[in-house]
Amino acid sequence: MRNLNKLRSGVAGLVALGMIGSAGAAAAEDVTLQYWVYSDFAQGEALALQQEFIKEFSAKHPGVKIDIVGKGDDDLTAGQVAGAASGQLPDVFMNAQSVGAQLVEVGALDNLYSKWMAMPEEYRAQFDAEALKGCMPKPDELYCLPYTGFGSLLFRNLTVLEKAGIDTSKPPATWAEWFDQMKKVKAAGLYAIPDDTLVFNSVAEIYATSGGNDSWGFDWANRKTRIDPAIMTTVLQKFVDMKDLNSSTSRNDQATKDLFISNQLAFHNIGPWVNPTYEEAAKTSGLKYDFVLIPGDTAGKTGGIRSYEMIGVAPGPHADLAFEFAAFITEKSQMARWAKLLSRYNANAAAMAEPDVSALPLIKLSVDAAHGAMDVAAPYFVDSVPSCYNSTVTDIAAATADGEYTPEAGAKEMISQLNACLAQ
Amino acid sequence: MSLRRYLPHYLMIAPFIVLFAMFFLYPIISGLYYSFQNWNGVKPPAFVGIANYQKIIASRDFATAMRNLMTYVAITVPLGILVALGLALLVDNFTGRWANIFRNAYFMPVVLPAFLAATIWRWIYAPNFGLLNMILGWFGRPSVNFLNDTSTMLYALVAVDVWVSAGFNMVIILAGLKNIPVELYEAARLDGASKRQQIVHITIPMLGPVLFFVVTYGLISAMQVFDKPWLLTGSSFTSYGGRRNALLFPVMDMMGRAFGSVRFGEAAAYGFILTVAIIALTAAMFMLRRWKWRK
Repeated sequence: MRNLNKLRSGVAGLVALGMIGSAGAAAAEDVTLQYWVYSDFAQGEALALQQEFIKEFSAKHPGVKIDIVGKGDDDLTAGQVAGAASGQLPDVFMNAQSVGAQLVEVGALDNLYSKWMAMPEEYRAQFDAEALKGCMPKPDELYCLPYTGFGSLLFRNLTVLEKAGIDTSKPPATWAEWFDQMKKVKAAGLYAIPDDTLVFNSVAEIYATSGGNDSWGFDWANRKTRIDPAIMTTVLQKFVDMKDLNSSTSRNDQATKDLFISNQLAFHNIGPWVNPTYEEAAKTSGLKYDFVLIPGDTAGKTGGIRSYEMIGVAPGPHADLAFEFAAFITEKSQMARWAKLLSRYNANAAAMAEPDVSALPLIKLSVDAAHGAMDVAAPYFVDSVPSCYNSTVTDIAAATADGEYTPEAGAKEMISQLNACLAQ
Repeated sequence: MSLRRYLPHYLMIAPFIVLFAMFFLYPIISGLYYSFQNWNGVKPPAFVGIANYQKIIASRDFATAMRNLMTYVAITVPLGILVALGLALLVDNFTGRWANIFRNAYFMPVVLPAFLAATIWRWIYAPNFGLLNMILGWFGRPSVNFLNDTSTMLYALVAVDVWVSAGFNMVIILAGLKNIPVELYEAARLDGASKRQQIVHITIPMLGPVLFFVVTYGLISAMQVFDKPWLLTGSSFTSYGGRRNALLFPVMDMMGRAFGSVRFGEAAAYGFILTVAIIALTAAMFMLRRWKWRK
């Protein structure tokens, strides 16, 4: 009996060893990639299309499983920074180019340059050159594949403009024309524009009406701001002029959208992501609106900013496969389907040129807006921007609008504080 | 001999000691270590002495955050406790079902997730369409932008905070009220004491230890305020504090330095400055109490 038990134990042990062995062999073949995306890309139709991409990729790569996880903006950054510290990074992930430097600093981003160069020229040529340049702090360093992006637009409430006696058939071509329309809207007892001193990006948007890439962003070599004092003086004067015309809500506030939808706000300068809300309001409550380019100081110059979300790949044992997946989802066919679904501009210029994509009005205008816009926080992937930078810009813009500084003094103080902030 | 005698005792407290060391002691000691290092969370830290502390204390945002914090603490803690005391006295007057209904209603905000509470209050405070502005409109008052007007932002936060914390404090004070012997009130009534005199001369002195706990806990919580101003101002790691930093607080600045600028050494130093301030304040509270006892 004892011998029989020993035999049974021996057989069970061998079976268990065999099972462990076969599980090990399966694990060697099967790979699971962690794919982190923005939370709004992980729900509804966007998630369905992402899952379709995953299915198509997995069909070509048997044994590869991809887990898609949606995360909010801050959760993406915090998760990637913490993941880099603990060695538990997601394999492929989205984030904004503007936090790229932090991710490079903590080692969350693989330098994709050699993998990129190994891709066929046909693939590489699909991307918008400017968008790609944003991922390359040096000629032999590529830290991302540019993904969805935006050039900010000017959403116009046509009912409000008509009430103010403005001819809506001709969008304002210059800042002077635009400002004149704002004053007419105010005279009609309505709000002209959100308070653009409240958010860094909206300060940048107004700066772009006068300045451009050559006088914005960071001179990292000398750790100084590139903001031009004369241009900032002009811009701060604009905030002073707009003080009594604005709704005192930020461009991101729900209250701003409510004012626009309820025909109390004439202009909303923001990215294309508000369009689904306004499109729905047009259907349900008869909102009459359109979107045009943000006018600059002179005819032909446009204001507004541009920025891209990116796809990054983490260094590690799955980096090659993760890059393959990143390249697959940023390829023309996928980017065209993605753009059509979201009506959102992206960095694959070939996809944007597809007739059924470029026929979409929002994308068509977004392409023009992005080409004329200013990069919001370039150059990217060089150094992380200290927390004091953005708050200094918005604080002094708001303080000048409140009358605490003259525009000249405000510009001087802002530049001095920004340089001190960058020097820390 | 004594080790053998007390071994079972040591073994019984060992799980606590191990967990305490892992999750409290180690993070505190390593935080202190990193506060003297230039460290981004991943790369090897480099010793920088007290440079992180100097940098923080010299920064404009630190001064703003501390100024905001002091004003906030000075208003929200006493106001929150007064409201909680009032509610507890009110609920104490009810019995049975009504007492339960009021207690649960006032406690509801405590269990509400912070993001939900902030969403509700963003809607209440919204200019033009918000509940509060609609009410102001009925009285012919112009719309107020509570969350972007620097003269109202702090008070808007205090209102949210009192709304959330009052229920929690009320439950504790209510438990204290239930422990006051009714004979004291009966004797006072026989002596002709009014309701106000009963509250001043019996209720509040008898609630002393409970109020001490509520004040101390309220101070410690208020010093660490983070989620409500963060959510009310729609903050992110790269942009926080609301218009002109009117709702910038130390923990927000610490988070921004850690995850927005990946300066974990600086963030650790910030945490220690705040910890020292909290410990100093709590110690002052205890000393004040001991001094009052001696008197």
